[in-house]
Amino acid sequence: MADLSLYSVEALLILDGEGKRIYAKYYHGPHEDPEQASQQHKSVKQQLDFESRLFKKTHKQNADILFFEDSLVLYKEYVDVSLYLVGSADENELVLQQALAALRDSLELVLATGIDRKNILEHYDMAALVIDETIDDGVILETDPATIASRVTKPPSKDVPINIELSEKGLLSAWGFAKNKLAERLQQGL
Amino acid sequence: MSTHTYKKFEEAQSGVLPDKMTIYQDCLNAFNESPVNSKRCRLLISRLLQLLAQGQTFPCTEATALFFAISKLFQHPNDSLRQVVYLAIKELSTVSDDILMATSSIMKDVQNGSDMIKPNAIRSLTRVLDESTAFSAERLFKSAVVSKHPSISSAALVSSYHLLPIAESTVKRYSNETQEAVGDLKTFPYHDGLSEHYPNSTYIAQYHALGLLCMLKNHDKIALMKLVQHFSSGSTLKNQLAQVQLVKLVGSLLSKDHQMISQLSPLLLGWLSNKYESVQLEAAKLITSLPDRYVSPELFSSAVQALQGLLSVPRATTRFAAVRVLNRISMVAPEKIVVCNPELESLINDSNRNVSTYAITALLKTGTSNNIASLIKTITNFIHEISDDFKIIIIDAVRTMALRFPEEWKSILNFLVNVLKQGEGGFQFKSSIVEALFDLVQFVPQSKELALENLCDFIEDCEYNEILVRILHLLGKEGPGMKTPSLYVRHIYNRVVLENSIVRSAAVVALSKFALVKNDPTFVDSIEILLRRISNDVDDEVRDRATIALEFIESIKSKGESGSSPAESLIQSKFTYDLASLESKLSQYMAAKQEAFKTPFDTSSIARYTEDERKAIDLKRKQEQLFTTVSSGKSKGKSGVSSEADKKNGSYGGPDATELDQDLQATKYAEELALIDEFKPFGPIVNTSKDIALTETEAEFVVTGVKHLFKTHVVLQFHITNTLADVALDNVYVGCTPALGDGESPLTEVISIPADRIKPSETFSSYVAFEKSQEVVTEDLLNTLYFTTRELDASTQEPFDGDEGFQDEYEIDTLPLTAGDYIRGSFVGDFLACFDELPNHEISVYNIRENLSLQEVVDKLITTTSCLTLDNTQFTSTDSNTHTLKLFGKSVLNGARVALVVRLIKSSKGIALKAEARSDDAVLCSDIVNGLI
Repeated sequence: MADLSLYSVEALLILDGEGKRIYAKYYHGPHEDPEQASQQHKSVKQQLDFESRLFKKTHKQNADILFFEDSLVLYKEYVDVSLYLVGSADENELVLQQALAALRDSLELVLATGIDRKNILEHYDMAALVIDETIDDGVILETDPATIASRVTKPPSKDVPINIELSEKGLLSAWGFAKNKLAERLQQGL
Repeated sequence: MSTHTYKKFEEAQSGVLPDKMTIYQDCLNAFNESPVNSKRCRLLISRLLQLLAQGQTFPCTEATALFFAISKLFQHPNDSLRQVVYLAIKELSTVSDDILMATSSIMKDVQNGSDMIKPNAIRSLTRVLDESTAFSAERLFKSAVVSKHPSISSAALVSSYHLLPIAESTVKRYSNETQEAVGDLKTFPYHDGLSEHYPNSTYIAQYHALGLLCMLKNHDKIALMKLVQHFSSGSTLKNQLAQVQLVKLVGSLLSKDHQMISQLSPLLLGWLSNKYESVQLEAAKLITSLPDRYVSPELFSSAVQALQGLLSVPRATTRFAAVRVLNRISMVAPEKIVVCNPELESLINDSNRNVSTYAITALLKTGTSNNIASLIKTITNFIHEISDDFKIIIIDAVRTMALRFPEEWKSILNFLVNVLKQGEGGFQFKSSIVEALFDLVQFVPQSKELALENLCDFIEDCEYNEILVRILHLLGKEGPGMKTPSLYVRHIYNRVVLENSIVRSAAVVALSKFALVKNDPTFVDSIEILLRRISNDVDDEVRDRATIALEFIESIKSKGESGSSPAESLIQSKFTYDLASLESKLSQYMAAKQEAFKTPFDTSSIARYTEDERKAIDLKRKQEQLFTTVSSGKSKGKSGVSSEADKKNGSYGGPDATELDQDLQATKYAEELALIDEFKPFGPIVNTSKDIALTETEAEFVVTGVKHLFKTHVVLQFHITNTLADVALDNVYVGCTPALGDGESPLTEVISIPADRIKPSETFSSYVAFEKSQEVVTEDLLNTLYFTTRELDASTQEPFDGDEGFQDEYEIDTLPLTAGDYIRGSFVGDFLACFDELPNHEISVYNIRENLSLQEVVDKLITTTSCLTLDNTQFTSTDSNTHTLKLFGKSVLNGARVALVVRLIKSSKGIALKAEARSDDAVLCSDIVNGLI
């Protein structure tokens, strides 16, 4: 009961409509004792097994939360993807719920056309950033979706960035730039 | 890079990832290009992240090369690229070498980067630091912690938290700043217009700061108490998670010192009506998990009320959380949550099946004999709508209820029979119902007849061979003793006519058992006729079984009424072997190959159980299982539902691990002793006690003792572990002196076998043997450990040559030889009748002054008497001050029965205890009563 650790999330998974992994991260503290970490942390094969069992148990069940293999699992199922948040059995369910809700809402904000498999794969960098800004190696970092979304940058729009800013300052500087150029030409011409 | 690969990787957006090496090569090429193409790099890193998330790994050299290439991207100023670079660094830092080289670039960003990437930089910095470099980041972290920007502050606090295992002292140096951060309400600065989303601070930095602070002051109770006082008052803590953390902090304080409850309970009461559900939940969880005697009933009932309120919330998670806590309470103190029954009943049809299952199991626990019937009716309507998994959980709950309320067997039996006959459900479901019925037959004698009849009906159309065979076996076992054996014979013979050979052979064995029915020669004759007919069966196994059964019956007949013949015990055996030790013996026998096969396998060393003993073990196991789920529910928040749900088989897979361990352990000891020549004349071991700790587990020498009982001897086996690092112990032996002194003690020491040498972290056994009379002998043995210490050469781990060592001794705890050592738990169907019928009678009264709960005393009594608890009296009710414990066992020496009724009354002065024992054996009777505490 007296577990004061901030490491409340054990894993975060995004599986597709067939239970295949789209994103999966099993958390452990970056400076945790490696031996201990390897004990808790399963090999990739065990992880995949866990995921397929979990998927079987939750697919089309519409239950939101369940107790699965000694862990609390909260999940949200969409048409062809599901988000899973795995937490330790002692964790406050509602705290985990907040984390999952934050993740879900911020993904919705960032992926403008809604959460589905294609959208996540196309904007994988954004999705990964959203998750990173919500949970940092098991610690819940932020629960406000707008804050999370605002912290996620979009990919650079052009290959070579040209700063054309349409704000007032941008126009002023363009004007200044043009003025200088003109002045140069005039001087050369003279 | 060719256009071809470029195309391929554009296509990859559809979700098909190019292979690992392509991505690796592309990354190295693109990252080393100049000028950097930021859009392409971000895309490539995104692919790389996807690859890593799939579970692909790079060998260390390749990962290092990638890490190196990625760190080149620091020269590009684009924030958007930089952010994914940090993400990649975080991922790769665990698998690559030389990650320290990125430190300076990252530190530069922490100092001068934009607000956008500063938090990412800080969080990546933690990953590349190690023990030797952590201190260099102190100043950076400190200034970030006090930053006005919430994200930066949070990032620094979480990063410091991650650093704790390697650099606690560094983090401690800015604990003042951390404390300020808890109270500081940071808001986002003026919106910069770059992003379309408006951040809204939740003050979550408070949560991180509080979490970090708890860890820093973990050992300082007073400082933690100050924290609680400081932050619980007023509205300093705005963040929900931070408030939950504060409740947890109070919980950890209380677990260390229960006395603080009086000080903290107003606080807890306040949290129960907090505006956040999560805080209410955490506080209720905390209150209900504290030991009862510290929580006032008012506080407990308001916690239950808060949970009750949470049950009717629309969000499934909340309901789930609340019902889970209630379910946990229902296992230890069902009477306390009876108020929630209306809400729980409405949850039976909840859309979340987990919630409804928890609700039902809780209801089954809170059920009293009054409302069980109506409850079962509700479940009957509901059970057809849910999946098999949940059905099995419910059946299991009903089964434990059957053991708790034997008097309600009728409605329970009806329910089980109903679901069994519905015909739906798979093998596991059916098998769990049949298991439940078996339990009823075994432990509730009144229900036997009806249950067997229904099982007979069931086998008429059961499609699972395994279940059929088990039922046939049970019918064979129980049927001959019933009033109308012919009824069962008809059903069994039907199987012979209609089923496949597996079922037929099982049926033959069952049939042959009916031939043992006494006083009815015509009945036995008809069995014989049936068996004769079967001996023409097409299947040879069936034929063989029928023929041998006939042979047996013939030989019993020829002996007439004069006593039992060996054939009788072959048909209906009186005992079963301990399967675990039988298995290990047999595999040893097989492993020895040709050598061993010269002599036949010897079964005499394997423990055998009679019917009653087997039942006792079964019941004990089931009770323990109930108990372990309760205790794990208490300590780890696991619930009975889950552990049962995870048990895939649905049926009992055999003894649980600890039980099995103990059986195997006893067999192992027996083997060890058999190897020692000195003990050979003592004969076979009669009983082996559990391992008893005689020192603290953290002592220099850890000693545990086991008592082996022989017919006229007692052997004490001491396991001695040397926990010292650089000292070996030579000639280690335990001096045992009976407490009564030389002349008077009934025990005389005959042999002492020392352990020659115990090296660091090794465990060896030393033995002491005593001679005793055949009767029950009880005695306290005062023990001292004698040994010669010799220092070890660190290089060779051998003692120095010239070192003589010096003698030393070490006091260890007393090992009592009690009456309980002569008793093995046993089962009896009707305890009170048996109690009244036993001849010898003894009463004794005790007063316990220590502040123990009734449950603790009961647990202790069960261990010291090594009896089996009957009629479900091993659990005390939490709100009553009295308890009656019923214990039953048999002497291992002569099989004398012992029945104990212990009445306990708790008052302000302590616990008064009155034990009443009855037994076949007068000495045992008085010994057990007088040696209870």
